[in-house]
Amino acid sequence: MSHGTHARADRHAVALVGNPNVGKSSLFTALTGARQKVANFPGVTVEAKVGTARYENTEITVIDLPGTYSLAARSPDERVAIDALMGRHEEAPTPDGVILILDASSLDRNLYLGTQVLEFGLPTVVALTMVDVAAARGITVDTTRLSAALGVPVVEVNAPEGKGLDELKATVHRVLHHPGKPLELPFPTEFKGAVDSLYATLCDLSVALGFKPTRPEALRLLVDTGGPLHDEVLQAGGPAFATRLADLRAQASTGKSLALVEANARYGQIAVWMRDAKQQQAGQGRTLTDKVDAVLTHKLWGSLVFVLVMGLVFQSIYAWAEPLMTSIEGLFGWLGATVSGWLPEDAAMLRSLVENGVFGGVGGVLVFLPQILILFLFIAILEDLGYMSRAAFLMDRIMSRFGLSGRSFIPLLSSFACAIPGVMGARVIEDRNTRLTTMFLAPFMSCSARLPVYTLMIGAFVPKQTVLGFLGLQGLVLFAMYWVGVLAAIPTALVLKRGILKSKSTPFLMEMPSYKLPRLKNVLRVLLERGGSFIKRAGTIILAVSIIVWAALWFPHNEEISAQFDAMRESAQVAHAATLDQFGKEFRQGMTGEQLLQDKAVVAALADLDALRAARQADQARDEEDLAEDQDALAAAAEKRSAAFLESLNELHRRHGAATSPAMLIRQADDGLADSQRDIDNAEAAAFANDSYLGRVGHAIEPLVRPLGWDWRIGMAAVASFPAREVIVGTLGTIFSLGEVDEADEGLRGALQQATDRDGRPLFTLATGLSVMVFFALCCQCAATLAVMRRETNSWKWPLASFAYMTALAYLGALVTFQVARALGG
Amino acid sequence: MAGTLAQLRPGQNARVTDVQGDAQLQQRILEMGILPGVEIRLVRVAPLGDPMEFSVLGYNLSLRKSEAACVTVEAL
Repeated sequence: MSHGTHARADRHAVALVGNPNVGKSSLFTALTGARQKVANFPGVTVEAKVGTARYENTEITVIDLPGTYSLAARSPDERVAIDALMGRHEEAPTPDGVILILDASSLDRNLYLGTQVLEFGLPTVVALTMVDVAAARGITVDTTRLSAALGVPVVEVNAPEGKGLDELKATVHRVLHHPGKPLELPFPTEFKGAVDSLYATLCDLSVALGFKPTRPEALRLLVDTGGPLHDEVLQAGGPAFATRLADLRAQASTGKSLALVEANARYGQIAVWMRDAKQQQAGQGRTLTDKVDAVLTHKLWGSLVFVLVMGLVFQSIYAWAEPLMTSIEGLFGWLGATVSGWLPEDAAMLRSLVENGVFGGVGGVLVFLPQILILFLFIAILEDLGYMSRAAFLMDRIMSRFGLSGRSFIPLLSSFACAIPGVMGARVIEDRNTRLTTMFLAPFMSCSARLPVYTLMIGAFVPKQTVLGFLGLQGLVLFAMYWVGVLAAIPTALVLKRGILKSKSTPFLMEMPSYKLPRLKNVLRVLLERGGSFIKRAGTIILAVSIIVWAALWFPHNEEISAQFDAMRESAQVAHAATLDQFGKEFRQGMTGEQLLQDKAVVAALADLDALRAARQADQARDEEDLAEDQDALAAAAEKRSAAFLESLNELHRRHGAATSPAMLIRQADDGLADSQRDIDNAEAAAFANDSYLGRVGHAIEPLVRPLGWDWRIGMAAVASFPAREVIVGTLGTIFSLGEVDEADEGLRGALQQATDRDGRPLFTLATGLSVMVFFALCCQCAATLAVMRRETNSWKWPLASFAYMTALAYLGALVTFQVARALGG
Repeated sequence: MAGTLAQLRPGQNARVTDVQGDAQLQQRILEMGILPGVEIRLVRVAPLGDPMEFSVLGYNLSLRKSEAACVTVEAL
């Protein structure tokens, strides 16, 4: 921690502090516009945004702190607010003042935090929001009286409409030049005395602590049991300090709990202020929110709306994102091929790096954007609307059984489409432990990237049978795969919440905000923020990983392998030329193959044949053999060109039978060459893969994956799919010498079915297929998920734990599956 | 009539008399404005019977039943 010295004469910083749901983010955006960045604090999972507001010739840095109901710091996350106010974070400048946001419609509760902030004595301006909402409920706030009571200026603002912003900025600018005065609250004398004594003791410890404590922090230390400040101070002060703290707490409590003493004093003072500054018309009828809630939280109608909304969210992430994702993949595949095509032909490594490493990697990052943006579109709208709290209210009972909260539902549901938006969506959960548990569970939900693996394995190894007369066995296995993850997630959640992420109680105190119409600007801002943060923070990691895996598959790239396959290519060429020469001799009195291909008549016949084939292919009604039937058509076309050609054609017919034309012979020879060249290319790719570092890893881990029924090829494909699970399909294609394939490829299916192990028995059985599927259902082979987890938790600890735990679970799951399935004869 | 928040009927008003439970939960409940002397109303109970939604100090807040049971009240 350092004491920032960002404040200069011409440059000031203010912190934006307030409760959640009071319009803090809109005010921040209205003040700073697009000029903002995110400040991450070490060791915590919350972040602050930093932006710049301009007032006349002054630049004011605005630090948007996480919304909170209190400055009590029971966890490192909650401590961010105080530390940022004191300028103890390197990433955010030291605030010279505070903009305290108060919601006029629930002013009493907002002022609880307000009194805590005002005790720091920083120059403060109150921004009063939601005045219109308050007015609709019959509440009017007298800003002059409120200002007199609090001892700081009060400005009414309506950020979405731009009202009061200039006045707010002018007032902030004015107060920044005057030191503030700490607010004095009517705490009992014993309490005040204890705070003063503790403050004096803390100041003596400031060298050991590494920062200069303040009186409000002494108050927090006195009242808040546990928490990070408590631990730090006890470490610095030792057992003597612990005794002193206990004595002071006993002295201050006067028989009541200290939290009650604090709350009584603050709310007591607030009640006194409100008698003067707030007027409420009695007898307000049911508000609109009440009426809407009567439906949306109704047993039947509420549940129905909930199911419909969740169905819509899931469907859109799962299905609607698909065409966008396919286009992004297609675009980057094409770009990669095009750009690498511009590079010199002998720079094979560079071409592969550009095509597979760079463009493949960038495409692999951007492909997640549609799902992220769609989920956050819904989250932003539902959150703005106030429905997120209602959804959590409806689901909490079920989720709390697994140690989660109602707010975990949407992130986990979205994870069935993709864990990345799921992990990012977990930030809507206020409680840190519940948020971390939800993030940890997200990759257990069977996402769409596992589908290619399931499709391939089920298509190849699960027989097309029906069970009980109507259930397809293949569909049943697919269904079971979705349950594997959920069933593994439940005990994991329970263990996490009772073990590492244990908190004595995880309170579900949740404000139910009034319904509001979502604002387009807000929604767009959220989309821009989430999308941008994913690309910047997670994208770089994903790109790096895909380049590393590319390199592991490319190197050492032994040139001897190339030479060997080049020799094969050359002999294929020679054989092809010889065949053409033979045709020439038979067909046109001693022409060489080269001359034959230059013969106008033959070229024209080839062109005819191509046109005919194209027509056939478009038609798809007949297969290639039918081409022979079109001899007449071909002959007729040729006749027009040359009588001599027709004569030669007839001569050839006599020799080879009616089904043959010279054009077809040449085409067959060409096709044969192309086929053998593709086979050679694929075999070369497989040979390089075998020899690559990744291939060597595959060989090295073979003893480890044997008990799962795998050989080195499956082991290597599993390792290669670390960046993304679906990569296993392509890697298997390469190793089995098939070139580029997808999961529906018949060739790959056939190759897997026919693949043999070293002892000549089939490599893959139903048991092996199931073991591969269970492994991929449970593993966390997804660099993007891990990168997003690191970004959201601001530490490598969680992604590493997640990867290690899920890999171990996947291994055990696959092991048990294979051994049991084999014992049952699968 | 004394009882806890968890025992209220929807629509029923009550006055808080005490907040118990472990220190952190107690503190959170107090911070949200549920403290002795304050008037509170049970608005509704979630379809599955838990959590419960209350109206206090002019805003609505949901508490799990187990949390609501930490707040003793006298019905009004």
